[in-house]
Amino acid sequence: MTERRIQWQQDLKQFRERMGGISESKKAWAKRQKDILKAIRSALRGGPMTVPALAAATRLPARDVLWHVLALKRYGQVVETGLDGDYPKYGLKEGSHESPGGSGAGK
Amino acid sequence: MAKIQAHYDGAVIGGGIAGMQAALDLAGQGFRVLLVEREPSIGGIMVGLNKVFPTLDCSSCICTPRMAEAAHHERIDLLTYTEVEEVRRTDGHFTLRLLKKPRYVVEEDCIGCGKCEQACDWFVPHEFDYGLGARKAIYIPHGNAIPQLPVLDPEHCMFDGACARVCPKNCIDFLQQPERLEVKAGSVIIATGLKLTPMEAKKEYGGGRYANVISPLLMERMQSSNGPTGHVMRPSDGRIPRSVAYVQCAGSRDRTIGVPYCSRVCCMYALKQAILIRQHHPGTEVTLYYMDIRAFGKGYEQFFRRALAEGVRVVKAKVGRITEEPDGDLVLRVELIDEGGRVAEIRHDLVVLSQGLIPAWRPVGIVPARLDEDGFFEVPEVTTRPANSSVDGIFVAGVATGPKDIPDSIVEAGAAAMEAAMYLDRISRVEAEEAAMSEVSND
Repeated sequence: MTERRIQWQQDLKQFRERMGGISESKKAWAKRQKDILKAIRSALRGGPMTVPALAAATRLPARDVLWHVLALKRYGQVVETGLDGDYPKYGLKEGSHESPGGSGAGK
Repeated sequence: MAKIQAHYDGAVIGGGIAGMQAALDLAGQGFRVLLVEREPSIGGIMVGLNKVFPTLDCSSCICTPRMAEAAHHERIDLLTYTEVEEVRRTDGHFTLRLLKKPRYVVEEDCIGCGKCEQACDWFVPHEFDYGLGARKAIYIPHGNAIPQLPVLDPEHCMFDGACARVCPKNCIDFLQQPERLEVKAGSVIIATGLKLTPMEAKKEYGGGRYANVISPLLMERMQSSNGPTGHVMRPSDGRIPRSVAYVQCAGSRDRTIGVPYCSRVCCMYALKQAILIRQHHPGTEVTLYYMDIRAFGKGYEQFFRRALAEGVRVVKAKVGRITEEPDGDLVLRVELIDEGGRVAEIRHDLVVLSQGLIPAWRPVGIVPARLDEDGFFEVPEVTTRPANSSVDGIFVAGVATGPKDIPDSIVEAGAAAMEAAMYLDRISRVEAEEAAMSEVSND
C-alpha cells in the first residue's frame, strides 16, 4: 500500500467520524438504490422497455423507475432505443458496468 | 482557489448573468474586480435555461462565453462556493467577510477529469435538473460549469473512498474545512438574482404533491438538449404528454402568498416553452390559463402572436383547483372569464405552474443597504438612478431590485458598473484633493 493511499484512508476515516458516520436511514437509502438498480438492470437484460413495462416487471412505482433509468442514462449505462407510442424505450448500453451507480472504476 | 488580493476596486456579489456582466463592464474600464458566487459554478439560472425569448436563441450559447470571459479576465478574480457573511463600511471602503465552503477537492491540483464522479456509486437528485436528473455524491455541477471542478456532498457520501482511489492528482481532501476570508473593496455591486416562489405556495394546485404538476424551470431542463430526459415527459411515468396546461400567475399578483407584484417574465417564458413543445411534439396541445398576457418588451407582442399562430391556446380563466386522477392525469377546475364565468373541469396530462420571482438573497443585517417590503433591494431614485441602492458605493443590478428579464438585467448590470466606476473616480479625486490639502497645511 502506498503512502498516498494510507494518507487518504486515514483522512477518510476521520471525515466519516466528523460527519457522524452512516446513519440507519442512509444505509436504508443506499440499499434501496442498489436493489432498484439491480431490478431495473435485470429486467432490461431481456431487451429495451418503457417505464410502465419496467415498473410492471420490477413491481416498483413508475416514478422511481423513471428516476433511476434517467440516472443510468445520464451516466452512460442505459440508452434510449426509440419510442413505443408515447413512451420512450430504454435498453442497457452494451459493455456498461455493473456497479450500483457508477462505472465501477473505483472497485 | 484563485489568488485573492486584500483590496479590490469593486466586489460583485452574484455570478449570474447580471453579476458577470457588471464584473466584465467594471473590469473593462480598468478596475480590479472580485466576483463572488455562492454556488460551485458561475452562470446562475440562465446557464440552465433552454432558449431565450423572443429570439429563441440558445441560452447557454449566450451565457457560457460570458462565464469564460469573466473567469479568465486578467482583472477579475473569481471566488465560487463562497457565501458573503457581512458587508460593512470602514474607512472609506467596504469590508466583505466571506465564507468559502469546502469542496473537499484541492482546486489548484484538480484537472477536472471527472474520474471521481464516474467512480462514485451513489445517485442523488440533481439540483441543476430540479430533482428529475441525477448527479453523484461527488460531482461537477454540469457540463458548462465554470470552474470545471467537482464538489463532494457529505450528506450523500457513503465514505467508501472510491473517488480518492481513482483521482490521478491525489486531490480529494477529506479534511478540508470552511475558510473565512476578508477583503476590502472600493465599491460593491449586488446581483444576487432570483428564486421561484415555492411549488407548495398555492396548496390548491398540488405543486410538490402531484408528480405531474411541475415547475417551469424543470420544463426548461426537459427541453434542453443537455437536460436529463431528452423529451418533455411526465415525471410520474415517462410518457410524452399530449395535453399540457400552463397556470399563469401561480405565484405572482397574489396577496394571499405575499407576492402582490407581477413577476414580468412568466407570460413570456410560458409562451416560449409552449411554442417549443408544439415544435417538438406537434400533436401535443398546449393551453395557457391566464389573467392578463403582459408582453411589454421589444418584440414580445409579436412573439405572443407567433405562439397563437403556432397553435398555442390561450384561455382567459382563473384556475381554482387541481386534482389528480389515479393515472396521473390532472383535472383543472377553471372559471372561464370569456364565457361569463362558467365553471368547467378540464383534464390535462401535465401542468406547469408559472411560479413567480422572489429574491434569492435577503441580506438583512448582512449588507447595510435597505430592502423594500417585498425583499428586493430598495432603489431610492428609481426613475433617475435605477442601479443605486440606499448606500453610496453599493450598487444593484438584475433581479436583486425586482423581477426583470435577461435583456433588462444586462442593461442594469452595465448601469451598475458605470455608476460604480463614477463613484470610484469621485472617491479617488476626493482622496487626492484631501492628500493635497494635507500637504499644503503641513507646508
